[in-house]
Amino acid sequence: MDPVLMGLGAALAIGIPALATGWAQSRIGPAAAASLAEKPELSTTAIVLIAIPETMVILGFVVAVMILLRGGGAG
Amino acid sequence: MIVRMTRVRIAGPPEPLERVLAIIQDLGVLHLTRPPVQPAPAAPRSRSGRERRHVQRLLADADAVVALLKLAGPTSERAPAPPESILRTARQLRGLRRQAEANAQAITRLEDERALLLRYREFHDAFKALLGHELTWPDGRAFYVVLRAGAAGAASELKGSLERAVGREFELLTHALSSGETAVLLLTSAAVAPQVSSLLAESRVQELPAPAGLGQTQLLRAVPALTARLAAIPAELATLRAERATLAAQWADRVSTLRAWLHDRLLMLDARGEVLSGTHLFVLEGWLPDPAFDGLASRLTQEVGAELVVERVGAERWWRQDAPVALKNPALFRPFELFTRMVPLPKYGSIDPTPFVAVFFPMFFGLMLGDVGYGLALAGLAVVLRWKSAAGTKLRAVSAIAGASAGFSIVFGLVFGELFGTLGHHLGLRPLGFDREKATIAFLALTVALGLVHVLLGLVLAVINAWRSGHSRMAMGRGVTLVMIALSAVALLAAFELLPAPFFAPAVVAVLVAFPILIALEGIVAVIELLATFGHILSYARIMALGTASLMLAVVANEMVGAFGSVIVGVLFALLFHLVNFAIGLFSPTLHALRLHYVEFFGKFYSPGGTAYRPLAHWRPSLQGG
Repeated sequence: MDPVLMGLGAALAIGIPALATGWAQSRIGPAAAASLAEKPELSTTAIVLIAIPETMVILGFVVAVMILLRGGGAG
Repeated sequence: MIVRMTRVRIAGPPEPLERVLAIIQDLGVLHLTRPPVQPAPAAPRSRSGRERRHVQRLLADADAVVALLKLAGPTSERAPAPPESILRTARQLRGLRRQAEANAQAITRLEDERALLLRYREFHDAFKALLGHELTWPDGRAFYVVLRAGAAGAASELKGSLERAVGREFELLTHALSSGETAVLLLTSAAVAPQVSSLLAESRVQELPAPAGLGQTQLLRAVPALTARLAAIPAELATLRAERATLAAQWADRVSTLRAWLHDRLLMLDARGEVLSGTHLFVLEGWLPDPAFDGLASRLTQEVGAELVVERVGAERWWRQDAPVALKNPALFRPFELFTRMVPLPKYGSIDPTPFVAVFFPMFFGLMLGDVGYGLALAGLAVVLRWKSAAGTKLRAVSAIAGASAGFSIVFGLVFGELFGTLGHHLGLRPLGFDREKATIAFLALTVALGLVHVLLGLVLAVINAWRSGHSRMAMGRGVTLVMIALSAVALLAAFELLPAPFFAPAVVAVLVAFPILIALEGIVAVIELLATFGHILSYARIMALGTASLMLAVVANEMVGAFGSVIVGVLFALLFHLVNFAIGLFSPTLHALRLHYVEFFGKFYSPGGTAYRPLAHWRPSLQGG
C-alpha cells in the first residue's frame, strides 16, 4: 500500500476524532465547571462526563496504530 | 462488604430518656430513625426549641472565640463534661468574645495604619528631595496619587488636563515605585485646589487619604511624626498579641471542652426529634451493626433499669427497607472505599463493589503506566504521602492506593521490560512478557480480553443483585446477556483460529437461540443494552492506547539526550520531559481507570441510593463535615 495514503489514513483516523473530542469537551467543560460552582459534590460526575468523549480519540488512536501496523506488515 | 444491620426498638417511661440518649451517645453505635408510627398532633416544643436557640448562640460565641484566639481543637478523646452553670458560662463566654473581638479589631486597625503609613513613607522616599526646600505655595495643598502599574501615559495626560484647567498654578512630580506603580505628588495653590480636586474626581484618579492623626495634612511636613508613629506601632502590636496569647492560654481548655459539649448537646437535641415521647412512654428506634446489639442492651438495662424494653425488631418487618449503609472491608481493600464513596452509597442489601475496585483499579493503572522507573517514583510519592498523613484520613487512603498502583506499575514494567521507556533496554532489562512498543496488537487483545472479564464479572454481580432483591426475571435477563456475550467471544476466538474451528457454529447457533429469549425477558431495549455492552468491552482498548502513548512519550524523552548537541542540555530536557510524562502518567490512568469502573463496570450492577450510617455519638472536629 502507498505509504502516503496509509499515513494520511492514520492521520485522519486520529485527527477527526480528536477534533470531535475537543469540540465535545469544549461544551462539557464549561457546563461541568458551572455545575461544580453550584454543587461541588458533583465532581465525580463531572470527571466522568469530561472523560466520556475521550473514547472517540482513544479508539481513533487504536485504529491509526492498526492502519500503520497492518500497512507496514503488508508493505 | 455492607455491614449487616439490626433494627432496635427501645421503650420505657419518659423520665430516664435523657439518660438513655446519653448512654447511646457514649456507645456511638445506634443510628436513630423515627419509629414508623403515625405521630400524635404536633405538641408544642417551645422548651426544646428555646434550648436549641440558646445552645446555637453559645456555640456561635465559642466558634468566634476559637477563631479569634486561634485555639486548637479538643485534645481529649473523652466525653466532655457539662459546665457547672450554663448561665454563668454563657455570660463568661459572651464577655470573652467581646474581649477577643476588641483585641482582634485593635490588631487589624494597627496593621491597616502601618500599611497606610508605609505607603506614605514610600511617597516620602520618592520625593525626599523636596524636604528642606521652600515650597512654591507654602499654604497650598498637596494631592497624593498612585497610578496603577501599566498606566505609563496617564501622568502626562493628567498634566495636560491640569494645564488646560488651571494654567501654571500647580507642580506635578512623578516617581516610579518598586511595585511598578507611579507615585504622583501634585502641589497646587490654595486658590485652585478645589478645581484640581474636582478634576481628579472626574478623571477617576483616586487620591490616598491625607495622613490622619499626625497633626499635619501636608505629608512632606508630617514625616517626623510619621516615622515616630511607625516606630511605635510594632510595640503596640506586640502588646496586643501578647494579650491574645494570654487569653488563649487561659481559656483554651475550657472553651474547647465547652464547644465539644455544645456540639454534643445539639446532636442530642437532634436525636430527641427522632424519639416518640408522651406523658407515660417514650419509644425510639434505630439501626446498629448486628454484633453491637448485646452490648447496647446490657448497658442500658444495667444503668437505667429493668423498666426499659430493648428489643430487636423482626427482620421480616424491615428487610432492606431503609437500613443505613456502613461499609466494612479488610484493611487491604479499605482505602479503596474512597472511590466507592465518590458515588452515592450502594443500597442496603446490594453489593459493595470496593473489593473489586481494589483488585482492578491498580491493575488497570499498572497496565497503563507499566514502567519500573515511574512505578518506583510513584512508590516514593506514596511513602512520602503515608509519612505526611495521619491514620484514617483521606490522604492516608490515597497513599495506600498510590502504593498498590505503584506495585502493579512495577510488575507490568517488568512484564513489558520498561524502565523510563526504552532506557531499560540499554541497561539489560528484557521484557518478561512482551514489548509494548512492538507487540501493539497483542497488547490491544490483552486489554480487550481484560475488558471482557471485567464486564462479565459486572454481569455476574448484576445477576446476584437482581436475584437477591427478588427480581428473578431481571436476573434471568442479565444471565442470558452474560451467556450471549461469553458465546460471542467464543465464536470470535474460533473465527480468528485462537480456538478450534468446531467451536464456531455451536456458539453462533446458541447466540441466535438466546436472542429471542433475551427479548422475551427484558423487551426490545435489551438489544440496545447488549450492543452497548459490546461497546463497553471495546472501551477497555483505552488501556492499550494510554499505555502506548505513555511509552512513546518516554521514548521521545530518551531521544532528547542526543538531540541538542550538548549532552547536559539533552539530559536536562529529557529529565523535564520524563517529569511531564510522569505527571500525565499519574493523572490520565487514574481518570480512565475510574471511568472504566464507574461507567463500564458499575453500570452493570450498582444500585445507588443507600443512606449513610451515622450513629449518635460524641462530636469530634474531624467529623464536622459529616
